[in-house]
Amino acid sequence: MNVRIGWLYPDLMNIYGDRGNIMALVQRCKWRGIPVEVDELGLGDRIVDGRHDIFFMGGGQDREQQIVCRDLLDVKGEAVKRQIENGAAALVVCGGYQLFGKFYRPFDGEELTGIEVFDAYTVAGNKRYIGNVVAKSALGGPTGTIVGFENHSGKTYLGEGCTPLAMVTVGHGNNAEDRTEGAVHMGAIGTYLHGSLLPKNPGVADFLIEKGLSRYGSTPRLDPLDDALELRAHEAAVARARKTH
Amino acid sequence: MRSRTKAALLLGKTIGSLSRSLKMGGGSTLPGRVARRVDPGFVPTMVKGLPLGCVLVTGTNGKTTTSTLLASVLDKAGMTPVHNRTGANLMAGIASALIRESNASGKLAARIGLFEVDEAALPAAVTDTTPRLVLVNNLFRDQLDRYGELDTLAAKMKKAVAQLQEDAVVALNADDPLVSSIGSGLRQKVMYYGIDDERYASGTMQHATDSKHCPACGSRLEYDYYLFGHLGRYKCPGCGAKRPTADVAAAEVEMRGMDGTRCLIRYPGGTAEVVIPLPGLYNVYNILAAMTASLALGIEPETVIQAVTEFTAAFGRVERVPVAGRELLMILAKNPAGFNEVIRTLTAGAGRKSVLIALNDNIADGRDVSWIWDVDFEMFRGRLDNVVCSGIRAWDLAVRLKYAQLGESSLVTKPDLTRALDLGLETIAPGETLYVVPTYTAMLDLRKELVERELVTAYWEGN
Repeated sequence: MNVRIGWLYPDLMNIYGDRGNIMALVQRCKWRGIPVEVDELGLGDRIVDGRHDIFFMGGGQDREQQIVCRDLLDVKGEAVKRQIENGAAALVVCGGYQLFGKFYRPFDGEELTGIEVFDAYTVAGNKRYIGNVVAKSALGGPTGTIVGFENHSGKTYLGEGCTPLAMVTVGHGNNAEDRTEGAVHMGAIGTYLHGSLLPKNPGVADFLIEKGLSRYGSTPRLDPLDDALELRAHEAAVARARKTH
Repeated sequence: MRSRTKAALLLGKTIGSLSRSLKMGGGSTLPGRVARRVDPGFVPTMVKGLPLGCVLVTGTNGKTTTSTLLASVLDKAGMTPVHNRTGANLMAGIASALIRESNASGKLAARIGLFEVDEAALPAAVTDTTPRLVLVNNLFRDQLDRYGELDTLAAKMKKAVAQLQEDAVVALNADDPLVSSIGSGLRQKVMYYGIDDERYASGTMQHATDSKHCPACGSRLEYDYYLFGHLGRYKCPGCGAKRPTADVAAAEVEMRGMDGTRCLIRYPGGTAEVVIPLPGLYNVYNILAAMTASLALGIEPETVIQAVTEFTAAFGRVERVPVAGRELLMILAKNPAGFNEVIRTLTAGAGRKSVLIALNDNIADGRDVSWIWDVDFEMFRGRLDNVVCSGIRAWDLAVRLKYAQLGESSLVTKPDLTRALDLGLETIAPGETLYVVPTYTAMLDLRKELVERELVTAYWEGN
């Protein structure tokens, strides 16, 4: 039993310390004695069916997002979607999240077509949502909350059949209107939260590892880890978020 | 002077002296903010009284060091600058400096304006001060929550400098592709500076690399080597843009760890050896920047070199503070590229170090602390004795270091800076050094603490 992570566009989509999510996944496997490997999947690289248990993509600037959008449509998108339908887990953050929806519509210029893992779409807003976020989530582990930092102007709206990752109590989330934050479809999670997200939200990290491993049959029971420091940082970040809003 | 400007000046002066006598701080922004509220044309009117015009210094890293250094060169050359010294680099800070340095009728003793300007404030500062020289040192990802994206920022800066008068000079870092692109196609004179020695170059990018695509055509840049973050020797396979030839260049750079750096600097018409008692390649860039600006202003090379040498000797001492038979060495680190350079320097020599790292998330630091995941803390593996994590986001930092797997070094977390400082000093033996690496506001807080302990003097006392 091992975990193989497919890191989508590591050099193009890593704007806000997104690689911390990879570090969290890797260490949390290693600490449990689960062998783990990371494949970096750049422009033009093809997805091998069944090879990856967890996919990850971070955020990027507008130009990077356009380049990646093209590569997803031409090379990887269909295959990534198929892996998720077959049980692979995924975490996509900010720009990555937007490209996993149906489309991103800017104020002017061309609409970016997404790969439609999530029944969701994004339109450009005229305000930038920047700040700490606290949200209630079933994946929040012992605290029932997730915490992170958002910085986006796109407003994402979920379709009827799409489950939000969390409900915002501090901050803006998907669109600053319906209090939803992020999206979940099978083992795939989309979110606007960085920070990085996974180190301070170990419940979400372990959800992804469990989903990835369950491709090999029944859902495994992960050994508990000493998360005292992670939870302390989680609590401190929640308190800081309440204070800075 | 217009009566409105005069009213603004007097009100600003009153507020400044009140805030100093009430010990509210240096009064480095409030007087200017109020004056500009009373008279929006306050800065444009005041700078007309400067016979030698204005100079603006901007860039993500090294603004304060570069402009303080340049101020001492201008002083030596008899050009007497008015300078917003305390890192107050928005328009209010510039206005405050003008208020402080003028008499009640608005007459300035200074002959030239030297203003350190926040990157995002450059367009407004260009409009208000009509500078004869603009210097851009580098553009790193720093507080994107305030500035928006780097490409957009560079485009705005280019638009601003294109409006300068025809005889103005633009001084740019040749090694930064985003910065050097500001110079292409300008009708104003452009002077470039950079490092021509590839001794400390690396063939691979650090994780903190910010600028990967050609600002002109969008193709992916090809690098012969990297020096510091995305700074290095690059070329664009798409449009043929490449790293410009440096007019002022560090032809040789020899880093001697924490003891400093020796450089051989080549400038139009000569070469000079400069020993910088500060570590890090970023300080080489700061020196090159200040020298380029001085030469662009027509100051004699001999005067420049003498001033730089005297200044750097004094500057090195400011950062080192003796405490109870021990030494405290403070190095500011506020973004991934800068932090990586600090770690590279700390781990250059032999032996293990004790460090105190302080991470704040106040507005001046950037509210978002995710950038710590782009710092290569893994370079510290096996090289640290004791680590104290401090600051408002101390626990985030502690988690980052846990995932960096630093091994046997002991890690303690104390958000309170005063207690963290005591703890850090306790962990080291007499004669040893505690390396303190704070973000911006954590550095201000630590300095305040050192002032209260009467170990250093307050930063505004010199003004």
